[in-house]
Amino acid sequence: MNSATPALARGCRFRRSANSAGTLLVPEGVVELNSSASAIVELIDGKRTVEEITLELSERTALDLQSMSSDVQTLLQRLAAKCWLVVGDKAALP
Amino acid sequence: MIVDAIKAVECRPLSLLAELTYRCNLQCPYCYNPLDLGSYARELDVETWARVLDEAAAMGIVHVHFSGGEPTLRPRELCALVSHARSKELYTNLITQGTFLTDALLDELLSAGLDHVQISVQAAHAALADYIAGTRVHEKKAEVLRRVASRDVALTLNCVLHRHNIDEVADIIAFAETIGVKRLELANTQFYGWAFKNRFAIVPSRAQVERARTTIDLARERLRGRMEITHVLADYYELFPKPCMNGWARQFLTVAPDGRVFPCPAAAAITSLHFDAVTDASLEWIWSHSEAFNAYRGTSWMPEPCRSCARREVDWGGCRCQAFLLTGDAAVTDPACSLSPRRDAIEALRVEDEHPAVDPRENGFVPRRFQRQPVP
Repeated sequence: MNSATPALARGCRFRRSANSAGTLLVPEGVVELNSSASAIVELIDGKRTVEEITLELSERTALDLQSMSSDVQTLLQRLAAKCWLVVGDKAALP
Repeated sequence: MIVDAIKAVECRPLSLLAELTYRCNLQCPYCYNPLDLGSYARELDVETWARVLDEAAAMGIVHVHFSGGEPTLRPRELCALVSHARSKELYTNLITQGTFLTDALLDELLSAGLDHVQISVQAAHAALADYIAGTRVHEKKAEVLRRVASRDVALTLNCVLHRHNIDEVADIIAFAETIGVKRLELANTQFYGWAFKNRFAIVPSRAQVERARTTIDLARERLRGRMEITHVLADYYELFPKPCMNGWARQFLTVAPDGRVFPCPAAAAITSLHFDAVTDASLEWIWSHSEAFNAYRGTSWMPEPCRSCARREVDWGGCRCQAFLLTGDAAVTDPACSLSPRRDAIEALRVEDEHPAVDPRENGFVPRRFQRQPVP
């Protein structure tokens, strides 16, 4: 179920801020992301699978895989609910 | 941790509305543009606009909305400015009625880096839409919408709701689904400019507003994850006023075609204030130091009942333009607030019972037009 390849929807752009956080620019809105959310969004490129994003961040942050997986899924679901995410055809969004 | 990851940014200039021209080939009676369109005939040149964008980016502004009037009536300047804005890392949005969006112009705008297009329709079906627009445009718009939806750019469909089209809101949602847009903005008319002039001819009844609310809420639930529906409420039927612009001069700037800078697109109506122009001062100075931007910023200007109200930093006193238009004083509580001592001014606009069932065409409104300038 983690073979889905999410990408930011048209009109959504990630912009890195001066600090470690970033912003997600969306149609008619600006979403301020904290550093954890920024790290996830930055890896959303339509190529990496959800599993790869989770693994990469888990290794980078030393957060256990299960907690990281839960964070990634929660954020992806929230982005998808706002139509800011499109998911590749390998599988439906987890 | 993640739960708090998404929050709106506050308290700094975020968004610039760049009104390139007030010219438009449509005559929508709900337009918020000023009535004296003819006095904006001298329009800022592209060099000045580019400087404004530079200053906006330096101030930390993130979004630029190119609007008007109809911004595609200045296609060369529009393309140049979209490109310039993107070079400054600004997010670019085109707000258009779409009738001039040829494939060639779209190609040029997309290669300039346009992020997002908002296209408006007047209704779901041609007969009513063309009547509201004052000209035959609906079929053309539908064709443009289908073309834009197939391109690599985000698209929002916008429809302004009023007495004559609000009952067909379900059809408007169905139309949006047919086109395949991801965002739909259903905005009840806000009564400024031409809309204020036409207020009694276009105000919907409370029953109409409530029916539409139910329809929109159900559609939102049904389309969740597929289409985001923004519903701009009819504040004159609400208990509390809208937090207009999220507070006067807190996040938004409008630069009008003549270069004057306003905290909101309708503020030219407040004739008791002097608004500075980008031809005389920098955007940063106007934002930080001008009299108009500081007049109603924050909460210290507030009279009662706002001053001691628990909602003063929720509503920000409502809308200054509405207060001015309805009471002649921009510094009073928005009459749309049920606590306002002047709520009678809003109650006079409301239609508590159903409108009489008559052909909308018999309820004439004044079409948006340039006034003929008197010969001196």
